[in-house]
Amino acid sequence: MMEQAPVLVVVIPLMCALLSPLVGWIKKEYCYPWAMLTLAASTVCAVITLNTVIHNGVIHYYLGSWLPPWGIEYVVDHLNAMMLVLISGTALLVAVYSKKSVEQELPDKVVYFYTVFLLQVTGFLGIVITGDVFNLYVFLEIASLAGYALIAIGEEGAPLASFRYVVLGTVGACFYLLAIGYLYVVTGSLNMADLAKLLPALYGSKVILVAFAFFLVGIALKMALFPLHIWLPDAYTKAPSTASALLAPLMTKVAIYVMLRIMFTVFQPSFSIEILPVTKILLWVGIIAIFSGAIMALAQVDFKRMLCYIIVAEVGYMVGGVGVANAVAIKGTILHILNDVVMTVGLFTVAGIITYKMKHHNLTDFKAMFKKMPFTMAAFVIVALSIIGVPPLCGFFSKWYLIQGAAMAGNWVFVVALLFSSLVNIILFFRIFEVGYEFHSSADAHGHGHEEAVVIEEAPLSMLIPTMMIALFIILIGLYNQPILINIIQFAVPKL
Amino acid sequence: MLEFIVSKYNFWIYIILMMIGFYAMIAKRNLVKKIIGMNIFQTAIILFFISTAYKTGGATLPILLDPHGHGHGAAESAVAVSQYINPLPHVLMLTAIVVMVATLGVALAIVIMIYRKYGTLNEDEIIKAMK
Amino acid sequence: MRFISFIVTVLTGALLIYGTVDMPNWGDPNSPASKHVSPRYITKTEIETATPNMVTSVLADYRGYDTLGETTVIFTAGMSCILLLRRRKKKKAR
Repeated sequence: MMEQAPVLVVVIPLMCALLSPLVGWIKKEYCYPWAMLTLAASTVCAVITLNTVIHNGVIHYYLGSWLPPWGIEYVVDHLNAMMLVLISGTALLVAVYSKKSVEQELPDKVVYFYTVFLLQVTGFLGIVITGDVFNLYVFLEIASLAGYALIAIGEEGAPLASFRYVVLGTVGACFYLLAIGYLYVVTGSLNMADLAKLLPALYGSKVILVAFAFFLVGIALKMALFPLHIWLPDAYTKAPSTASALLAPLMTKVAIYVMLRIMFTVFQPSFSIEILPVTKILLWVGIIAIFSGAIMALAQVDFKRMLCYIIVAEVGYMVGGVGVANAVAIKGTILHILNDVVMTVGLFTVAGIITYKMKHHNLTDFKAMFKKMPFTMAAFVIVALSIIGVPPLCGFFSKWYLIQGAAMAGNWVFVVALLFSSLVNIILFFRIFEVGYEFHSSADAHGHGHEEAVVIEEAPLSMLIPTMMIALFIILIGLYNQPILINIIQFAVPKL
Repeated sequence: MLEFIVSKYNFWIYIILMMIGFYAMIAKRNLVKKIIGMNIFQTAIILFFISTAYKTGGATLPILLDPHGHGHGAAESAVAVSQYINPLPHVLMLTAIVVMVATLGVALAIVIMIYRKYGTLNEDEIIKAMK
Repeated sequence: MRFISFIVTVLTGALLIYGTVDMPNWGDPNSPASKHVSPRYITKTEIETATPNMVTSVLADYRGYDTLGETTVIFTAGMSCILLLRRRKKKKAR
C-alpha cells in the first residue's frame, strides 16, 4: 500500500471518475459524497507520498515495471510531492464547498459535473507526478478538456469564453507536442531524466533551441502569461463558482510547475539561464504582467473579473521570480506557488458565496456583507490581507523572498513591480471592505433601513467551513513557513 | 544543396501545413473554420511525427515478418533493427489522434451550445448579440 | 488583425523551419530516434511481450499507461459532451 501510494494518488480519482456516472445513476445525491470520499483518499495518498519523500528522498515508480527510457516512470521529488498534496487538498476543499453552489447553478447536471470535476483533478495530478514528457501531454489534455467543459456550462457568455480558451489552449498543447517531437528527433527519448542526460551534448543544436522556445510558449499559453492571458479573464469570470474555484488556482500553477520542470529538470539550469537568455525575457515579461494585471484589476467592477486580473499579476510574480534566476528568488517562487493556490482558492470561494447569496458577483454586491456574513467576511479579510502581504500571513513570506532575491540580483524594477502590485492590492481590497461597511451610511434613511434590517444570514455550513479552513491554512502556512522551507522547498530549488 | 533540400523537404511541407491550420485558428472569425484550422494543425503534427519514424534502406512496417522464427531458440538470428521502421512515433500518434478527436468533440459541443443561444457562428455577430 | 495574424504565422513557421536545419536527414537509419529507445521495441517484442506487432506491444505494454490516459481522454470528452449538450427540461416539455 505504502509503495503504491504515488500511483494511487492519480489512479483513485481516475477510477472513481469512471464509476461516478454509475453512482449517480443509482441516486443523483450520492455523487457529492462520492467525489469527497475519492478526493479524501487521494489526499491521504498524497500526504503519505510527501512523507515518504521527506524521509527517504526521491521516489521512482515504474509503471508496468518497465525500466525508464522504455516504459513510463513516475518521479516524485520534493517539488511535485508538495504539488500533489496541494492539488488534492485544494480539490477536496472545493469538493466539500461545491454542494450548494452546484445545486443552485447546475441543478440538472450534478452527476456529470462531479464526473468531470474528478477528471479535472486527475488531469492535474497526472501532469504533476509524471516523469515522462509525452505522458504529461496526455494528462495535460485530460485537464484541458475537462476545464473547457467546466467553464462552458457557466453563466451567459461562458460558451464563447470557453471556445476561445479551447482555441488558445489547443495551440498551447500543440506547441508542446511539437516541442516533444523536435526533442524526440534529436534524442530518441521521452523520459525527462533520460533527456536531461542526453541534452547537454546537443545544447548548440538549433533543434533544441526551437524545441525549448515552443515548450515555453505552449506552457505560457496555458499559464496565461501576460500577452497570452487574453482567454483567462472571460473564462474564469463566467465559469460556475465551483469550477472557477477549482480551475483558477490550479491551472495556472500547474502550468508554472511544468515550466519549472522543463527549464530546470529536462534542461539544465545552465542552459535556461546562460546559453539562452530566456530568464531575462521571462523577468521582463513577468514585470509587464504584474503592472498590466494590477492596472487592469483596478478598472474592474466585477469582483470575479478583478480576481482574474490579480491572477495575471500573480503569474507575473512567479515567472518574474524564475526570471531573476537565483536560489532565493526561485525559493520565493516555489513558496509562492503554494501560497497563491491557497489564497486564490480562498478568494474564489468567497466569490462563490457572494454569487450564491446575491446571484451576481459585482463589487457592489458586497454591500453590508460585514453585518450579514461576519464569518465569511472574516475569512475574506484574512485572505485579502495575505494577498496584500501583511506579515504573519503566508503571502508576506513568498513576496519577501522574491523581493530579497530580486534585490540580490540587482533587479530593482522587479522589486518596484512587486511593491506596486501590493499597493494596488491594498486599494482593491480596502475598496471592497468599504463597500462591506457601507450599510451604516445608508441605514440613516430610517424607514427603509428597518426593513432590510441586518439579519445575520451566513453562508451554508458546507460553504463556510472550507472557506474558514482556507483562512486557517493561510495563517498556518504563514506561521510554519520555516519548517515548510527547510523540509520541502529547500530541496525543490534547482542547483544553480 | 539539393541533397539538403531532399533530406528536409518533407518536414517543411508539414510545417507549411501546420501554419495553414495555425493561421485559420487565429485569424478566421467563423468558429467552425477555427475548428477546421485546429484539425489541420493537429493532423500536420501527426504527419510530422510519423515521418520521423521512417528509415531508408528497405525497412518495412513494424510487424514481425516471421513471428515464430525468432527468440525461442538461441541459434536463431536476432531481429535486425534496420529491418523495421521505428514503432514509437506510431504509438505516440495513436494517442495523439485520440486526443485530437476528443478535443474536436468538445469544441464542436461548445459550438453547438453557442449556436443554440445566438443562432450564428460568426464571432463578431455573437459579440454584437451579447451586448 | 488579419495582418498581425499573418505575421505571427510566418514567424512561427520560420522558427520551425530554422529548427529543422540541424535535424537528422529524413529516413536516416542511424538517427538518434531510431538508435536510442526504439531498438528494444523491435528486437525484444517477441521475447518480452509475445506480440509480433510492435505498435501493439508498445501501445498496450511498454507504454500502456499512456493508453489508459488516452481512454480517459475519450471518457472525459464523452462526459463533457453530455455535460454541455444535455437539456433535460426540453425533453420533459415534449
